[in-house]
Order: sequence, then C-alpha cells, then structure tokens
Amino acid sequence: MRLEATDLRSGYGTVPVLHGVSLTVSSGEIVALVGRNGAGKTTLVRTVLGVLRSTGGALHLDGVDITRMPPSRRVRAGLRATFQERALFGALTVSDNLRLSGFGSESHDRMLDAFGPALSGRGSQRTGTLSGGEQKMLAAAIALSTDASLLVMDEPTEGLQPSNVALLGDHIESARDAGRGVLLIEQHLELAKRLADRFIVLEKGEIVDSGPASDPDLAARVARRLLI
Amino acid sequence: MDALTLELLNGVSLFAILAIVALGLGIVFGLMGVINLAHGEFVMLGAYVAYVVHTVGLNHWLSVPLAAVVLFVLGVVIEVGLIRRIHRQPELTILATFGLSVCLRQIAELVFSKDFQSVPNPVPGATRAFGVLFPTYRYLLIAIAAVIVAATLLAFTRSRFGLVVRAIVADRDLAESAGIRTGMTNLCAFGVGAATAGIAGALVAPLGAVEPQAGLAYLPGAFLVVIVGGYNRLWGVAVGALAVAAVQTGVIHFYDAVWAQIASLALAVLVLQFRRPTPAGAVA
Repeated sequence: MRLEATDLRSGYGTVPVLHGVSLTVSSGEIVALVGRNGAGKTTLVRTVLGVLRSTGGALHLDGVDITRMPPSRRVRAGLRATFQERALFGALTVSDNLRLSGFGSESHDRMLDAFGPALSGRGSQRTGTLSGGEQKMLAAAIALSTDASLLVMDEPTEGLQPSNVALLGDHIESARDAGRGVLLIEQHLELAKRLADRFIVLEKGEIVDSGPASDPDLAARVARRLLI
Repeated sequence: MDALTLELLNGVSLFAILAIVALGLGIVFGLMGVINLAHGEFVMLGAYVAYVVHTVGLNHWLSVPLAAVVLFVLGVVIEVGLIRRIHRQPELTILATFGLSVCLRQIAELVFSKDFQSVPNPVPGATRAFGVLFPTYRYLLIAIAAVIVAATLLAFTRSRFGLVVRAIVADRDLAESAGIRTGMTNLCAFGVGAATAGIAGALVAPLGAVEPQAGLAYLPGAFLVVIVGGYNRLWGVAVGALAVAAVQTGVIHFYDAVWAQIASLALAVLVLQFRRPTPAGAVA
C-alpha cells in the first residue's frame, strides 16, 4: 500500500494552508512529519483523510485516485487516521467507540489490555470521562488495532505519560514491522527519531526539508528547526 | 368521575397520536437535523394510502404496512433527490421542504381532488373499561402506537444502526473518519422517518377527513412534541408527546381548544428557555 500526495493544496474558506505538498508513505515504513505549531500538519491529516476538501493537487492510494472520495470510502480503502483533537465519541462508552470502528465485543477486552493499564478494563466507561491522555491512547489503540494498511497519526503521544509514550511507540513499531505504512505527526522528537525511517519537515504549508532518518545532518536540522 | 376518566382516555389517545406522528419528525429533525416542513404531507399521504386500500376493497389493516413501504420509498427518493444536497444548510432545507409540502398537496389534489374523503372505522363500536365507554379503535390505536414507538426506540438505542445514528448526531466528520457511511445512514433514517409518518397517517385516517390539506394539522403539534421532548434524543418524543397531550387535555377540559394550542406553544417556549446548550456537534 502506498499513499501518494501530489502538489496537495487545501485550507479553510479563503485562507490557504497547504501550498502544494508532495509526499509518499509506503508499506513498512514510518514517515515522521514534523513542524512547528501552525505549520499545517493537522490540515494535512484532515485533507489526507478527506474531512477537509483539497483545493488542488491529487491523492492516490495504491494508484487509485482518492482525491474526491468521502472519508468513509478512504477508510474502507485501507486508510485510517487519528486526530489530534475530537478523536472519539465522548458521550459513548469505550466499547461503543470500539464497536463503531468495527470491533466485535469479544475482542474489546483483549484489545484494551494490549495497551496497558491506561485502558485495561475500561470498556464500560463513558469515553468523555477518560483523561486526555487515556483518550489519546484509546484513539491510537483503535487505529492501530484496525486492519488499515496505512495509518496517519496526528500527535498520538500528546499528553501521554512517559511509560505510555514508550508503549505506544512499541505498537507503532510493530505496525511498521507488520508491513503497514505510518505517517506520524509528532512533536516528541526523541520518539520520532526512534521510530522514523524518514523525516519530512513542514513549514508554513510547504515541505522545506526531508530525507532518511539515518542522516545525522538531517536529524540535527530537524532539531534546529523545531527549536528555533 | 366518569367525565374525568373519559378525559384521561382522550388524553392518552391524543398522546398516542402525537407520539406516532412526531416519531418520524423526531428521527428526521432530531437526529439528522433536517427541518422537514413536508412531514405533515407524509402523514397525509399515509392517510391516502389507507383511503386507496379502502376504495379497492382491501382490509384497512393492510394499509399500515403498505403506507410504511410507500412512504419509505418516497422518503428515500426525496432524500436522494433533494435532502442529500442541502441537509447541512438548515435554511435551504426549510425552503426546499416547504416547497415540497406544497407540491405534495397539489399532487394529492390532482390525483384525489380537493374533496374530503373518509376511511371507515375498521373496528366500530365502543368498549366499556374503567367504568366508561370509549371507542375500541382508539384503544387499538393507543396499543399500536405504544408498540411502534417502543420498537423504534429500541431499534435506535439497542441496535448497531442506532449506535451509528447517535455517532453521526454527535460528530458527522468523526463518524465518517471511523468508516461510517453517513450518507447511507441518512438515507435510511429519512426513509424510516417518512415510513413512520405514513404509518401514522394510515392509523389516523379513520378518525377524520382524508384531504390534501390534512397534513397541515399535524405539523405544528409534531414540532411542539419534538421541541418539548428534546431534539437529539428519540425517547424525548415520548416525553414531549406526553407533556403536550397532558397540557392540551387539561386546558381543553377547563377552557377550550384554542387555549389548549396556546398553552402547548407556551410550554414549548418555556422549555426552550431552560434547555441547556446541546453538546458540540449535536443537532440543535
């Protein structure tokens, strides 16, 4: 599975945010998209999933043009995203959120247990009563537990305690090892360095730098750009 | 004492009619956020289905499922042809469904004429219960309405379809992102809303005249029920119908029908003053 964005543009109303972003994410790799606040990372996630309509360019999933597909069809085509905010139905229980994503009730406990004590045994709890970090963990758990071939994760570790950051990192790594592609939007630079195969740096809606994560110069440039 | 019992039974009967008429509106307005001003015409068309069934000599009870099927199909056609394109724009849905209501009334007039038609009571006579005689058909209507409302509530609260609808009401974009086909769910919800209106029309047909303007009488009451009961929870239809029926029956008992309508409206205004803002993303 390969996600390919070509000269992708989008924005809110008459305000353009993405000014022609081109990138690829293939099976079995983690691409870390980094950038400071306001760089357009979340806009890119929303556009890739189709919640926000692109105003130009094209999106292909395994060669199939998905640019005009509604989000639900993109999900069925193998794409899955977690959003930075409003990622779950807060008024529904944890189990209901799992059911909505297609998980049978027999798998809920096993699935929640796999993501540690933060979620274990919380199936009947109303999702809105979980802490911010627990909700983040749940949203990531749902995305990682689906059979989606390509995951787009918008700051999944934001608000998580360090032990859960490490646990989630392990799960993302396992997803990559299982042959899935991951576009990881991450402010947590240490985690991004640990997981990523490639880095893409977004600034003011444009890609300003990219390359393999093994390149020490790139890692230094990424760190500098995020600190400046 | 007998007069009071009779008033109470009239109140329960009114509750049943209001609940069953408002149920479809509760689905379409409350869950989908579509202000369907043609809902009364769906009820009117259901009544005409009962009329046609009567004129061709079939059993009246056949008209109930038949009205459901006919109105479901019509609802699906209207959703695909009209509502789907505009349902995120409330002002356009008001205008479009108002136009639709006029069209449906004109079509009914062209097909059936302006004349008042009647559907004979399939269960004439009265039954003595609680010390008073009360029309048997109204007892049946109460029972059928209770079953339909309960079954619909169960379907929307216990089934996966109901869960999906609640998710869409809470956050349409998030539902889409979870892979839920919101367009298909809207289609089904609009069809089911129209079907319940059709059932209501077929059931109330023997109680009054069947004519092209008949739907107009049901629309304000149905909206009052949905407003009083709450927009985004279907069980609110039952609560709203109970409250409106209680107010109307009580005021009619002491004053008259005009004051009863004014009191119902006042109740709706009062409820709106105390209603908490709906959660983000919920239909309001």
